[in-house]
Amino acid sequence: MIITKESAPHIRRKANVTRMMADVLIALAPTLIFAFVVYPVQAAINLTLSLFIMNACEFIFVGLKNMMPADGLKHTFKERFEHSYKGKFTINNILTASITAVIFTLIMPAGAPIYAIIVGALVGIVFGKLVFGGLGSNIFNPAAVGMIFAKYCFGSQFVTYVPTWYYSLPANISIGETPLGKIYQTRMYGNYNSYSLLDMFLGKIPGTLGEVFKITIIIGLIYLLIRRSADFRIVVSYLGTFILLTLIAGLSGYGVNQSFEPFKFLAYNILGGGVLFGAVFMLTDPVTSPINSPSRVLYGMVAAVCTVLIRLFAGLPEGVGYSILLANMVGVVLDHYEWSNPRFNWKNILAMSLLVVISGFVVFIAIFKGGYYVQ
Amino acid sequence: MIAKSRKIKDTKNLTGLLPSVRFTDPKYLYIAMANARCANVDLYIKEGEHVNSCQVIGMRHGPFFDQPIHATCSGTFIGLEKHYHRSGKLTDFIKIENDFKDTLDPSCKERTPEEIAALTKDEMTEIIKQTANVGLGGSSFPTYVKFQTNKPINMVLINGIECEPYITADHRLMLEFPYRIMEGIKYVMQAFNCKHAKICIKSKYKDIAAVYRQVIKEYPDSGIELCLVGNYYPQGWEVEMIKNATGIQLNPGELPSNRGIINFNVSTMVGIYKAIKYNMPVIKREITITGDGIKYPKNFRVRVGTALHDLLPLCGGYKNPEKEKVFILGGPMMGASVPNDDVIVTKTVTSVIILDKVESKEEPCVRCGSCVLSCPVHLEPVQIMNAVKTLDKERIKTLNPLKCIECGLCAYTCTSKIQVTDYVRKAKMIAKL
Repeated sequence: MIITKESAPHIRRKANVTRMMADVLIALAPTLIFAFVVYPVQAAINLTLSLFIMNACEFIFVGLKNMMPADGLKHTFKERFEHSYKGKFTINNILTASITAVIFTLIMPAGAPIYAIIVGALVGIVFGKLVFGGLGSNIFNPAAVGMIFAKYCFGSQFVTYVPTWYYSLPANISIGETPLGKIYQTRMYGNYNSYSLLDMFLGKIPGTLGEVFKITIIIGLIYLLIRRSADFRIVVSYLGTFILLTLIAGLSGYGVNQSFEPFKFLAYNILGGGVLFGAVFMLTDPVTSPINSPSRVLYGMVAAVCTVLIRLFAGLPEGVGYSILLANMVGVVLDHYEWSNPRFNWKNILAMSLLVVISGFVVFIAIFKGGYYVQ
Repeated sequence: MIAKSRKIKDTKNLTGLLPSVRFTDPKYLYIAMANARCANVDLYIKEGEHVNSCQVIGMRHGPFFDQPIHATCSGTFIGLEKHYHRSGKLTDFIKIENDFKDTLDPSCKERTPEEIAALTKDEMTEIIKQTANVGLGGSSFPTYVKFQTNKPINMVLINGIECEPYITADHRLMLEFPYRIMEGIKYVMQAFNCKHAKICIKSKYKDIAAVYRQVIKEYPDSGIELCLVGNYYPQGWEVEMIKNATGIQLNPGELPSNRGIINFNVSTMVGIYKAIKYNMPVIKREITITGDGIKYPKNFRVRVGTALHDLLPLCGGYKNPEKEKVFILGGPMMGASVPNDDVIVTKTVTSVIILDKVESKEEPCVRCGSCVLSCPVHLEPVQIMNAVKTLDKERIKTLNPLKCIECGLCAYTCTSKIQVTDYVRKAKMIAKL
């Protein structure tokens, strides 16, 4: 009988990375099914392409990372291959690359051309993840990096695809306008009546493949929270701060113009765009979020503030995508060892309240005095 | 999985209800020379010499105290042999051949209740020092040092929590010897002239609670109470126990006696009872032999110095001997593993756990943060690990790893199966430099 020596502790919790990754994929599945039902052709093309590209890149990366060092001897290809991949390319590599691919598929618009998908997927996985060292080392969310890059390069070539069997565009909407784009590009708050809230909830609007249908995203959120594969702190602080700031914006608008409906404005902002999808599947990615609980709360708040400020004042599409990348960047700073603290103390509570108060004040002043959205 | 994890799967049902097996007198007994706290040893006996049970046969010299070594049976001193000590090191052991007569040393005299009532604190401290009582929960901290405090004590806490999974030695001891424990508590309360004592157990131990509710009735007006505390790990850590039993939160590194509290393990209480009542050192202790690598897990009350080889046949031997095994002395969360089954039961071995080795592959850290959420002293184990990897001494010191109590929760909860605790141990070493 062999007796081995090992260091304490000798028992481990029943939890592993594979399970955590698989949970995210399972949570994404309903949304993916929705995308396949409503946009079968686009979803199939996007998913196949991004799955193939991202897994291939991951595979090549693992091979390069574990390349056999030059020792002056001749090795057969089989030996080299085994040295690079045996025990090193695991199910986790495939799962993480697949999660990125599925998220990337779901956040690309239905009318994105094929070359945009290819370039976005490549940039996302290589510059969003692999250059940092692969699984567990990336700072930015790879899917968001790919999506932002593709939109920046090829945004003008995207066409709006309308699955006419599911919904038809209202009469006053021209092709190429998403609900939020309509408000925020024209800066006319009155335009939020162009779609009904129910249509937005059911995804009967032009937009990305997966972000539009809210029911499946909420199912995914519930599953992730039950399985503890996502941190509720991030979701709650992000959505809470987002609702608070949007409400401040709505109420300031109401103070300027009595016909403004602040709660409808709030509902429109939550249902439009990728707020829910980003909060559930992208912000909660443990690799790119901070470690301590106060930092996680602050991280969600930073993302929410960025989303609101970009949406209200920047005139850019993809407020959520940008805010996720900005918050990823801030998250690293929040965890810096000189001020990180796993417990809530007066310092980080002060930081949180200052952030909310200052950004709330900015939103209030800009709308109340600055003349945004008053027409 | 991103979750705080303090409840560890309870495996105490393997042995919790079994009575402890007694009267296991082995042919040979082995008594450790050096231990973790005392490195230098003087031996007072020669080979072939006859020794009595409880006779002083040597003296360990520690950094600030001396500790006598007692024979735990009567017989003949044969010589020294190397065996594995609880700390996982190979150490010299004094081998004594048992003559099964159990002749007591003349120094062991029973004290009458009147004599005991007349003992002062200093006299008790001296008795406990001469009988080499140490913390039997596993710390092996000399008990008399705790007795030497000059601070006023108004609360005695008895730790019967045993928060590590698998171990049931204290559980059985509490069920089987309640009167010895109660008497021991009375002696301690007399020594410190304090009015309150609390016996802390986990609130799910209904059987112990039932026994002590009955027993405490026999000690009216003694001030001894039963205190039910939380069911989580590490509830048995003194800071957590004091917090839940009295509501006092100790500062890191602060001694409980600063706040008028003194705490002991239940087995130490039995040791103190024996020392004061009969002037005897600890010659027997409870141990649990358990785990999924053994056929019939059992509790034993054995002489200190019994070899595991003599107890294993009573447990039916190994289950699945073809599988790789891990031998743990102490609990599975904090205990040391030994590379050999040549294990001797010393005073502080609470259990021998034999587990089938589970290979777990280490994945890259996914920064789930479970270790940070679970840490009972609010450290950031993952940050410490990253600092150790880069050997950044400044960063390690800022993260303050010396607060760590090595409870093992960070590695237990790790989603990626990384041995985080090992990195924190390294960080402690680096921070001390």
